[in-house]
Amino acid sequence: MEPILNKDEYTFYLIGNVDDFTERLGRVVRLGKEEIAVFKTTDEQIYALENKSPGPRGGTIAEGIISGEVLFDPICDWKISLKDGQVLDPDTGQVRTYPVHVHGNEVRVGLVKNEGGRFHE
Amino acid sequence: MVKVQERRHLVLIGNGMAGINTVEQILKLAPSTYRITVFGSEPYPNYNRIQLSYVLEKSKAVEDIILNDWNWYLENEIELYTGTTVTHIDTEQKIVKADNGIEVPYDALIIATGSNPFLLPVPGADKEGIVGFRDIADCQNMLHAADQYKKAAVIGGGLLGLEAAKGLLKLGMDVTVVHLFEEIMERQLDHTASLMLQAELESQGLKFATGKQTEEFLGDERVSGIRFSDGTTLDAEFVVMAVGIRPNILLAKESGIAVNRGILVDDYMRTSAPDVYAVGECNEHRGTTYGLVAPLFEQGAVLAKYLCGVETKPYEGSVVSTQLKISGVDVFSAGEFMDAEGLSVVRMHDDWLRIYKKVLLRGGRIVGGVLIGDGKESSRLQQWIRTGTVMTEAIHNAIVGQSAVETGNTAAELADEEIVCGCNGVTKKHIVDAINEKGLTTVEEIKVATSASRSCGGCRPVVEQILQYVLGDKYDSAAAKQEAICSCTTLSRDEVVTAIKEKGLITSKEVRYALEWDNPEGCSKCRPALNYYLGMIWPAEHVDEKDSRFVNERMHANIQKDGTFGVVPRMYGGVTTPDDLRLIADIAVKYNVKLVKVTGGQRLDLLGVKKEDLPKIWKDLGMPSGYAYAKALRTVKTCVGSQFCRFGTKDSMGMGILLEKKFERLDMPAKFKLAVNGCPRNCAESSTKDIGIVGNEGAWEIYVGGNGGIKARLAELLCKVRTDEELLEIVSAFMQYYRETGKYLERTSDWIERMGLESVTEAIVNDLDNRRALAERMEVALAQVKEPWSEILNNSNLRERMFEEISVSTKQD
Repeated sequence: MEPILNKDEYTFYLIGNVDDFTERLGRVVRLGKEEIAVFKTTDEQIYALENKSPGPRGGTIAEGIISGEVLFDPICDWKISLKDGQVLDPDTGQVRTYPVHVHGNEVRVGLVKNEGGRFHE
Repeated sequence: MVKVQERRHLVLIGNGMAGINTVEQILKLAPSTYRITVFGSEPYPNYNRIQLSYVLEKSKAVEDIILNDWNWYLENEIELYTGTTVTHIDTEQKIVKADNGIEVPYDALIIATGSNPFLLPVPGADKEGIVGFRDIADCQNMLHAADQYKKAAVIGGGLLGLEAAKGLLKLGMDVTVVHLFEEIMERQLDHTASLMLQAELESQGLKFATGKQTEEFLGDERVSGIRFSDGTTLDAEFVVMAVGIRPNILLAKESGIAVNRGILVDDYMRTSAPDVYAVGECNEHRGTTYGLVAPLFEQGAVLAKYLCGVETKPYEGSVVSTQLKISGVDVFSAGEFMDAEGLSVVRMHDDWLRIYKKVLLRGGRIVGGVLIGDGKESSRLQQWIRTGTVMTEAIHNAIVGQSAVETGNTAAELADEEIVCGCNGVTKKHIVDAINEKGLTTVEEIKVATSASRSCGGCRPVVEQILQYVLGDKYDSAAAKQEAICSCTTLSRDEVVTAIKEKGLITSKEVRYALEWDNPEGCSKCRPALNYYLGMIWPAEHVDEKDSRFVNERMHANIQKDGTFGVVPRMYGGVTTPDDLRLIADIAVKYNVKLVKVTGGQRLDLLGVKKEDLPKIWKDLGMPSGYAYAKALRTVKTCVGSQFCRFGTKDSMGMGILLEKKFERLDMPAKFKLAVNGCPRNCAESSTKDIGIVGNEGAWEIYVGGNGGIKARLAELLCKVRTDEELLEIVSAFMQYYRETGKYLERTSDWIERMGLESVTEAIVNDLDNRRALAERMEVALAQVKEPWSEILNNSNLRERMFEEISVSTKQD
C-alpha cells in the first residue's frame, strides 16, 4: 500500500546502493533523526520501516527474520507486512513505513516534507 | 522398451492372497519385467480368505470379498488358470505340469499354495457332515448344513473355530465349541482375557466343551456325535474341524524341493530349487510357519523387490497379531501376551465395562499386548509392537488411559479469566473460545491464534490440557506428538529429517521446495529448525544460512529489549586470569557498558552494547565467543575440585575445561549445559544440567536430562565410568545422539522423556558399536565449527552489512 501522501510531499534521500543490503537481512539506516530498518527481499524489493517493534516490549525490528514480504519481529515474533507495516494475524498493530525509490543501483527513502517540522532540521 | 516376448516368464502356483499380493507388488515395481501365468485350484479369482467368516455369517457375499476380479487379470495381461491344480514341477527343465495336461515353462516360479485345514486323524473322521473351514467351498457346505441341520459342533477354540462357530450360530444352529485346552484362544490370550472372551461368547449363545479331547466320531454314514477321551459324548449333526492348518507342501515335496513343516525358504523366499520361491502359509522361514495375513504381505514385499532387482532388506520374520473377526466382539492380541520374568506389564481390567487391556514391556519397549472389549487402539498398538516403541505417558494414556478428567486434567477447574500464558497474558477463556470458534486441534494452532505458549513455552502442558478438555474424544494425543514442525507444512520433524537424508536435500530452500512447503520462504519457526537439521545431517556440505538464524545467533550476542546487546566472552570452566579480568574491565569502561553481570554459568556478561560496537568489543577482547546466545554448548560449570578443595576427589576444573574446549561452538537442537563436580557435594549443581558429571573416588558418574529452566527436572544417572577416555566418549555419543534425534528447540529434559532413558542408555552405553559411531560422527561435525567472532572480524563485507549502520544527514534540505 502506497502512503496516502502524494509523491511531491516527500523528500527522497539517497541511502546507498542496492548492493549495500543483503537479501533477507535488515540494516539500520539513520536518516536525520529517523532510525529506519531497511530490508531487501529475495525478489530484490527494498522496503523501509521505522526500526521500532510494534509489540508491547518495544525494541527494534531490523534483526528479524524475513520470509517473502513478511518480517518476523525479533522481539515478540509478530508478523509484519513489509509492504505497509501492518501487523498480521493474530496480532494487531502498525509499523510506520517510508516510500522507497530505486533508480538503477541507487536506493532512496522518502521523508514527509512537512509534518510539524519533524523531518526538517 | 522391452517387447512382450522378451519378458521373463513368471509362474505363480496358488491364486490366493500371498501369491497375488506378490504379483501386485511386482506389477507396481517393474510392470514390464515379467509375463505372468497364475494357477489356482479354486474356481474363483483372488479373494480375501480372512473375510470368509463374514460370508459364513452372511454379512458379506462371495463377490464382496473378491480382491482382484477377472478384469484385473485381463488388464495386467495375466494368464489365469482357475480350477486347475499343478501336479508337478520339473525344477531342472523349469516346467510346471497341471492336472489338465497343461505344461508351462517358467523363468521364475512362485509357490503360494497356502495351507490345508488339519483334520483330526481319529476314527470316523471321513464321515459325511464333517468339514474343514478353509475356502469358499467349505463355507458353502456350512451354509447348506445350516439349512438342514440344527446341532453343530466346532472342534477348535482358536481364531478360526470361534469365527466358524459364531457364523453357524448366526445361521440359527445350536453350536458347541469343543476345545482340547481349558482356555480358548490359549495361543493368543492369557487366562483373564480367555475367560472374558468365553463369557462374552456364552452370553451371545455359544456353548463350550473345553478340556475335551476328541476320540471318535459317532454315526453311520453321516456324523451324529463325538465321543471324548473322558468317555462323555456330544450330539452333533454337523462338525467343523478348525483345529489348525498345515502348510500345503505336497507339490513341493513331490517335486524334490526341500521341505520341513513348510517349504523351506531363506530370507529372500528362495527355496532349495533355483528360481523357485515360496511365499505365505506354505513356507517355513527360520523354523516358523505362519497362519495369518500380515506375514504374507511382508514376505510378498521382500520377494517382489527381490524379483524386480530392487534393493531390499531381508525378511527376518513377522510380529503376528490376531484380531477376532466376529461382529460385536473386540479381541486383539499381538506379540508377547503372557506375563513372564523380565517383562513389565501395564494392565487395565474393568469387569463392569467388560474391558481388559494389557501391554507388555521389555526394557521399557512395547513387545506385546492384548485388548478385549475395546480394540480402538489395536492398529497403533500393533505398530508400536512392531517398531519396539518405548512406552511413554502419551502412549500409556492412549491405551489404558481413562477419560481426561480422571487422568489429572485440571483444565476444567481453571477459572475462565485465569491467565494461562503469563508471557503473553492469554486467559483460559481466550484459548477455549479460539478452539471453539476456529476449530483448532493442535497446540501449534492455538499458539498461532492466541500467542499462548508462544514465548517461553512453560504453559504448553496446560494449553494441551485445555485442548484435550475442550475436544474430548476428538483429541488425538499421538497426532499432537507428531505435529508438524510449523504451519508451513504438515510434516513432522522426523518426516522432514528422513526426507532430507533420503532425497539428499542440502539447502533449506530445496527442502521447502521438494517437500512442498505452503510458504515458499518458510517462517521464523521452520527456518532456524531446517538450518539446524541440514547442518546436523550434512556437517561438511551445508552452508549455514545466516538469514535463517535468530538474531542472537546471527549477531553472536544476546539482543536485549532495548535493542542493545549482551556480550559474554568464553571463560572455560568458569576459570579466568587476572589479566583477562583486567582486560574485560577496561573494555567495559571503554565501551561504556551499562552493567557487568556474573551469569548463572560462571561467566561475565557485558550488557548494553550497541550493535555497531559489537565487532569492536570482540576485537579488543581478543577472546572467543562465550555462546551465551546459542543453541549450542553454553557453559561447563565446575567446582574447585581436587586442585584446591579439601573434599575434591577429581579434577573437575581440568575436566570441565577439556569438555568445554572440545564441544564448544557445535550447534545443538537447543541450548546445552554441562557441569563437572569433583565430589558428590555437587557444588556445580550437576543435577539440573543437560549433562552433569560427578567425580567419585575412582569413577565418574554421568547424569543426563536435567533442567533448571522453564520445566525444572532432575538429571538421571546414565552410567558410571572409570576412565576419562570413557567419559569423553559417552559425553560425545550422548551429545551426538541428541543432535541426531532431538527436535529443534527441544531440551534434553523433554527429549529424554520422549526417548526414554532406557533406550538412550541402550544406544550410547550398552551398544558399543553405536557409541563409537556416534562419537565418530561427532568428530566430523566438530571439524566444521568456526569461532564466530573472529570469523566476522576477518570478513569486512559481512561485518559492515550486518553490524554497521548507514547514516545519512538531512541537514542540506
